[in-house]
Amino acid sequence: MICEHCKQRNATVTVTQVQNSQKMEHHYCDVCASQFHPFHAEFKQEPVSIQQLLSNWFGSPTWQQKVGEKQQAPPQQQTCTYCGFTYKRFLKEGKFGCPSCYDTFAEHLPKLFNRIQAGPQHIGKMPGAHSNVYVVKKQIEDIRKRMKDAVDEEQFEEAAKLRDEAKELENQLQFEGGDVS
Amino acid sequence: MMIEPFLESATPVWMHVEDDYSDIVISTRIRLARNLDGYRFPLVFSEDEALQVEQAVTHAIQDSSKLLERYSYFAIKDLTPLQRQILVEKHLISPQLAKKELVGSMLLSEDESISIMVNEEDHLRIQCMTASFQLQKAYEQANKIDRALEGALPYAFRDNFGYLTSCPTNIGTGLRASVMMHLPVLTLTGQMNQIINAMTRLGMTVRGIYGEGSENLGNVYQVSNQITLGKTEDDILADIQSVAEKIIQKERQARGKLMDKAELALEDRIYRALGTLTHARILTSEEAATCLSNVRLGVDLKLIDGIKAATLNECIVCMQPGFLQHYAGEALPPSERDRVRAKMLREALFQETLSKPTIGGKGEDSYDV
Ligand SMILES: [Zn+2]
Ligand SMILES: [Zn+2]
Repeated sequence: MICEHCKQRNATVTVTQVQNSQKMEHHYCDVCASQFHPFHAEFKQEPVSIQQLLSNWFGSPTWQQKVGEKQQAPPQQQTCTYCGFTYKRFLKEGKFGCPSCYDTFAEHLPKLFNRIQAGPQHIGKMPGAHSNVYVVKKQIEDIRKRMKDAVDEEQFEEAAKLRDEAKELENQLQFEGGDVS
Repeated sequence: MMIEPFLESATPVWMHVEDDYSDIVISTRIRLARNLDGYRFPLVFSEDEALQVEQAVTHAIQDSSKLLERYSYFAIKDLTPLQRQILVEKHLISPQLAKKELVGSMLLSEDESISIMVNEEDHLRIQCMTASFQLQKAYEQANKIDRALEGALPYAFRDNFGYLTSCPTNIGTGLRASVMMHLPVLTLTGQMNQIINAMTRLGMTVRGIYGEGSENLGNVYQVSNQITLGKTEDDILADIQSVAEKIIQKERQARGKLMDKAELALEDRIYRALGTLTHARILTSEEAATCLSNVRLGVDLKLIDGIKAATLNECIVCMQPGFLQHYAGEALPPSERDRVRAKMLREALFQETLSKPTIGGKGEDSYDV
């Protein structure tokens, strides 16, 4: 059975509704279903294509909103160098071509994840190797904050000490192959 | 390795557990989606990439000393369509993997509680199942496997988006937790609509067990989390735990009320269902599912004794087309399936109902007007 909203994916969610004592069943895919909060608000709308649906999630592209900042390529034109997926292809398939797509389209994704997920940031577990890198990154972040405070309070000796600490951790990260930025 | 042993019984040994929840919860399933960095996702990868992924995964599994289980390996392309269908009906593989002609494979633990799908929608899907309601146990199992494999496999992971998946609906934890529940009275009293609506708002989904388009056939529902990013694994499991507990509580309350108000009508309905299952000569899957649901309710409410819940679980799986044809030993046209289904269910249930004094037992004494 095909999702009655996007008419593209398999329907995996059934919504049973009682309206005027009439029972109605609606079938949606995961993606569309997670969109509707609550369901009945959406029935009257014309079914839209998955492209439109995904475009709607994003609203107007972020590159249009950032006036004066560095010019970004419109997401439609960005291409994943690893798998050749364009943003347009992602919108069409509703799926990515490879892990690198997440890097290529990274700045447009938080908006999507805010819509279909609980937020744009992973807070769950991570592979063992990463958790080390992650912990060190957090430490560096923390030290930099304290460094700024120290500078603000004109405690330059303390700030210099913290700077050296941060440097050491950064070196450690690079040694482990972590990305410092 | 032969596939046959895995197709023989409808329900594996791990299913045969009865505890405080087994009146309502049938099973719990955890799935972790993982991918390898440096390879395109199965949607677009080349056959060569597929092969490399498969070899990396199978080697990691066979080499890992931390994995105590032994796994049998099966390439989907080596299985007959009927064998694949049975694996789907047992929920050991997804319908999507069953369709993979070239690249899909699975690794299955001896007791069938763990199946690892390779090159389905993602490179790797670790699936762990338990009987009844045991989210934590199933998750620990899956996590153990994940931890054992992460050292050997270059998982695609980013600090911000977590585990990268082919579909953005699985990103982050890659965790899908599902609880399969039998909810006949909430369905009967029309409360499921409300529950489904509420669950959707909480970021959960509900689906049936017999696949697409048969969502609440047999009154069995699968409740699972929809959200995978922005919550920890513990949060996701706790959410499902509390939602499932509330549903269980509601179903029990509804059962209690129905027993108070309409025990005779309920008992009549349940025994008619038993009569149909033990005497009918033609049974469509819809009718069989409805009758099995009613008999199961009868057993859970102790209106019927002598029939084991495990037997009914077995019947629920067995009555599906793939199993029926396996049971019959030949391909069957749909009309023949209804006949074979009736025969199979008769044989499965008749013995149990005859050998115990169930029919005419408690029922007639208590309703002597
Ligand atoms: Zn859809
Ligand atoms: Zn890509």
